[in-house]
Amino acid sequence: MGHKPVRVFLLFLLFCAAGRLLSQGVATRNAPAAPRGAPSGRPFAATFDDIGTKAGLTSPVIVGNAAAKKYIIEANGTGLAAIDFDRDGWVDLFVVNSSRLEGFGNTTPPTNRLYRNTGKGAFTDVTKTAGLDRAGWGNGVCVADIDNDGDDDIFVTYWGPNLLFLNSGKGTFEEAGARLGVAGPPKEWSSGCTFLDYDRDGRLDLFVTSYQQFDPATTPAPGKTSNCEWKGMPVFCGPRGLPFGRATLFHQRSDGTFEDVTQASGIGAIQGFYAFTAVAADFNGDGWIDIYIACDSTPSMLFRNEKNGRFREFGVETGVAFNEHGFEQGGMGVGVGDYNRDGLLDIVKTNFAGDHPNLFRNIGGGIFEDSVLSAGLAVNPQYVGWGVALLDLDNDGWQDIFQVNGHVYPELDRGGRNETYRQPWLAYRNLGDGRFEDVSVVAGSGIGVKHSSRGAAFADFDNDGNIDVAVMNMGEPPSLLRNALTGSMRWIKVALEGVLSNRSAIGAVVTIEAGGVRQTLPVLCQSSFLSQNERRLHFGLGQAARVDLVRVQWPSGKTETFDGGTAGTTLNLKEGAGRK
Amino acid sequence: MTRLLLAALLMQSPADPLADRALAAAQQGDGPAAARLWQQAIAQDPRHYDSLFNYGVYLHRNGAQREAVALLDRAAAVRPGYQVHLIRGMNFQQLERREEAIRAWRQALPFQPRNVKLMQVLSVEYSRGRYFQEAAAIAREALKVAPDDENLYLLAIKAHHDAGDLPAAAELAAGAVRRFPNSARAQFEHGYYLQKRGVTETALQHLHLAMDLDPRYEEPFFFYGDLLVKLSQWEKALAPLRKALEIRPDYSPARVALSRALMNLGQLPAALDELKQAARLDPNNAQPWVMLSQIYFRMGQEDEARIAKETSLRLRRENPGVLEAAQPRPFPER
Repeated sequence: MGHKPVRVFLLFLLFCAAGRLLSQGVATRNAPAAPRGAPSGRPFAATFDDIGTKAGLTSPVIVGNAAAKKYIIEANGTGLAAIDFDRDGWVDLFVVNSSRLEGFGNTTPPTNRLYRNTGKGAFTDVTKTAGLDRAGWGNGVCVADIDNDGDDDIFVTYWGPNLLFLNSGKGTFEEAGARLGVAGPPKEWSSGCTFLDYDRDGRLDLFVTSYQQFDPATTPAPGKTSNCEWKGMPVFCGPRGLPFGRATLFHQRSDGTFEDVTQASGIGAIQGFYAFTAVAADFNGDGWIDIYIACDSTPSMLFRNEKNGRFREFGVETGVAFNEHGFEQGGMGVGVGDYNRDGLLDIVKTNFAGDHPNLFRNIGGGIFEDSVLSAGLAVNPQYVGWGVALLDLDNDGWQDIFQVNGHVYPELDRGGRNETYRQPWLAYRNLGDGRFEDVSVVAGSGIGVKHSSRGAAFADFDNDGNIDVAVMNMGEPPSLLRNALTGSMRWIKVALEGVLSNRSAIGAVVTIEAGGVRQTLPVLCQSSFLSQNERRLHFGLGQAARVDLVRVQWPSGKTETFDGGTAGTTLNLKEGAGRK
Repeated sequence: MTRLLLAALLMQSPADPLADRALAAAQQGDGPAAARLWQQAIAQDPRHYDSLFNYGVYLHRNGAQREAVALLDRAAAVRPGYQVHLIRGMNFQQLERREEAIRAWRQALPFQPRNVKLMQVLSVEYSRGRYFQEAAAIAREALKVAPDDENLYLLAIKAHHDAGDLPAAAELAAGAVRRFPNSARAQFEHGYYLQKRGVTETALQHLHLAMDLDPRYEEPFFFYGDLLVKLSQWEKALAPLRKALEIRPDYSPARVALSRALMNLGQLPAALDELKQAARLDPNNAQPWVMLSQIYFRMGQEDEARIAKETSLRLRRENPGVLEAAQPRPFPER
C-alpha cells in the first residue's frame, strides 16, 4: 500500500472535558507545612521516655484488622482514662479495648483493662477483680463521681450498648448502664462522652456522641466510590457518604436514673455530623457549662448553654466550626486551657493529615479566632492528629501542647508512599508570646518512636510534680511516657470537691495567682481524644515559691477565693470553704 | 523501470479508489455517501489506514465518539502516528475517559517529542485527573524544550504547586522572575511563594511590583492586602483589597478579607455591607455567609447569625468539595 500523505479534515483541539475534581472520604486540603520560626535557643527541660511495658502495661489494644481496614470502624481506635479508682492518691489507668470483625476464633477476645498504680513505678492489672473484664467494640471513656459518693465511676462508649460501671468504693465496679438508662440503642456506634451538670442541680448529666450509623451490610467496600480512596489508593469508605451520627443528652434524675432529653434540650435539633470527642466547659465565661464537639469532615459544634435546660449550637458563629478560611476539617481530639494567660478558655483541636490543627483563641464573649498560623503550630501537617492537651509540660508557667498521631490506613505501610501508618508524636513549647515551638526532637526518646496512636490521657502518674502521658496505640500495648523533667521549675496541684456543685467539680474554672501572673485551667471530663485526663489540676509555677490566691468558679455558679499554698503541694479545695 | 511501476501498482490497495471517492464526497458535504464509501473500502481492506483514519475522524466530528474510537484504534494498530493518537485522545476525552486520553496523547508525543502544545495539554489533563506528579513532570519537560515561554513557567509552577512540591514551585517562580522581570504574573508568583515561606517583607515588595506592572491584574492586590490582614495591619490592607474589588467586583476572597480587616477595625456595619455584596455577587460561595454569621453574632444579632450560618451550610452541602484541595494520586499505567 502506498505511503501517500493522509489528508484529514480540520482538527479541532477541543479540550473541554468536565473538570470535576473527585473528592475523598475525609476533609483535608493538602495544606503545606508553614515556615518554622527561628529556634528560641531555650533549653526544654521536659523529656519523655516510654516505660509502658516495663511498668506493666502489656495488653495490646485490638481495633479491627491490623494489616488492612475494610471499614472505618476498624480505624478510629479508643481512648483511655486517668482515674484514681481506689483513692490511694496514685493515678491508675483504664484502657478501652475494642474488637475485630473477624472475631477471635477459639481465643479469648480482648477486654478493657484497669491497671492499678502501685506507686512504685509499676502497674498491676486488676481488670478481673474489679469486674471490668468486658469484651466488645469499645471506643471512648469518661470518668466522674456520678452518684456523688466520693469515688469515680466509668462510662464506656461502644458499637452496641454503652456501659456504665459504678464504683463500689471497694475496688470493684457494677455495670448499670441499662438499669440507669444510659445504654443507648443496641446498634449505636457511640464515640465521645462527657459528664456535665448542665442544669446546676448538683447531679451530673451525660452527653454522648455517636460517630455514625454504621452497618457493615450496607457500607461499600474499599475503593467503591470516591469516598473510598486516599490519594488514589483504595481504602475503607468514609466518613463521607455514610450515614451521620447523632448526639444524645441524658439528664440525671434525683433517684440516680437518667432520662433522654435530647429533643427537649435542643441538642436533637442539630443533625448531619460525624462526632468524636466531646468536651464540656464554660467557654463563654457566663458561669454555665457549654459543650464543644470535634467533628470529622463536618463542621465542629459548640452548644451554648441557654441557662434554661436548653442548648443552642453556635459553632459557625463563634468561629470554632471551621479553620480560619472556613474549611471543614477532619476533627479528632480537643484540648482546653488558657495558653495566653488572659483568663479565657482556648481550644486546641487536632485534625486529619494534610491540614493543620486549630488553636482557637478565645477573644471574649465566647468568640474565637483560629491562631494556628501565627502561633507556629502549622508546621506538621503530615500527621493525622488525635489525642492532645494544653498543659504545662515543663512547669515554666505557660501551657504547652502535646499531640499524638497515627494514620488511619495501614495499607500505607506497603510501600511506595510518602506517608506511614505509624507516626511520631509532637511536643510544642509555649514561648509565652502567643507562639509555640516544636520541641519534639529534644523531648526525649519516647516521643519519636512511631505508633499509630489515638487516645492520650495526661496525668502525674508518678506524683513527681510533672505531667506524664498514657497513649493508646493501635494493635499494641499502651505507652506510658514518663516525664523526667529536670531543673528548678516549681508546681502546684489543685483538687476540687463540689458540694452544691457535682462532687467531681466538672465544669469548674480555676485561676491561680503566683509570682504576679495568673493562670487558668478548667476541670474537664472527656478531652484529648475520647479520653479522660486526671481531674486534679496541675499548674507549673516557674520560679514562684508559692501561690498567692486561688479563685474557683464552681459549676453551681458560685465563685470563691481561697488562700494559696506552697509550691510542690496539692491544694484540696472544698466548695463553701472559701471566701465569697 | 517497468518492473518498478508494476510493483507500485501491485502495492496499491484495492480500497484506495473508494477511499478517494469517500474523501471527495466528504469535502463536498455529502457525509452519508462518504460514510458508505469508507465502509465499503474497509470491507475490502480491513487494514486500510486512510479509510480507518478518515472515517474515524468523520465520526469523531459528528459526535459518534465510541464508533470513532474503534476505527482509530484499528488505524493506530496499522500505522501508529502523531495524528491518529492525538485524535484518539480527543475522542477518549469527549467520552470522559481521561486516563485513556492521556495514554493516547502519550503515544502521540514520541512522534513529535518537542511538541510543547501537546505537553501543555497533557499537563492540564493530568492535573484534572489529580495526577499532579505527572502533570508537574511533563510541564518541566515542556519548559526544557521552550525555556523562553512564560506561559510554560506558569504552567509548571501551578503543576508543582498542585503536586504539593512547594519548594520546586517556588524555585520555578524565582526563575520566572529572573527571566521575565517585567512580567506582573512572574512577580506575583514569586511574591506568593515568598509569603508562603514566611518571607513577608520581600513578598510584599514583589507583590507591589506586580501591582505596579499591571494595575488591572487583581490577584497581586488581593494577596498584598490579604498578607497585610494576616500581619494584623488592618488599616493598610483596605486600599489594595478595595482596588482588587474595583477590578473584579465578584472576587469573593478579596471581599471576605476586606470584611475581616474592617471587622478588626471595629467597623462591623461596613464589614457587613461588604459581605452582603460578596454573597450577592457570588451566590454559590459559602464563605461570605460564614463571615456574615460571625459578624451578626458579634453584633448581638443571633437570629440573623443563625440564618447566615444555615445558608452557608446549605451552600456547602450543595457544592461538596468546593472548599477542598483535591488529593493527588498516581497515574494508573494500566
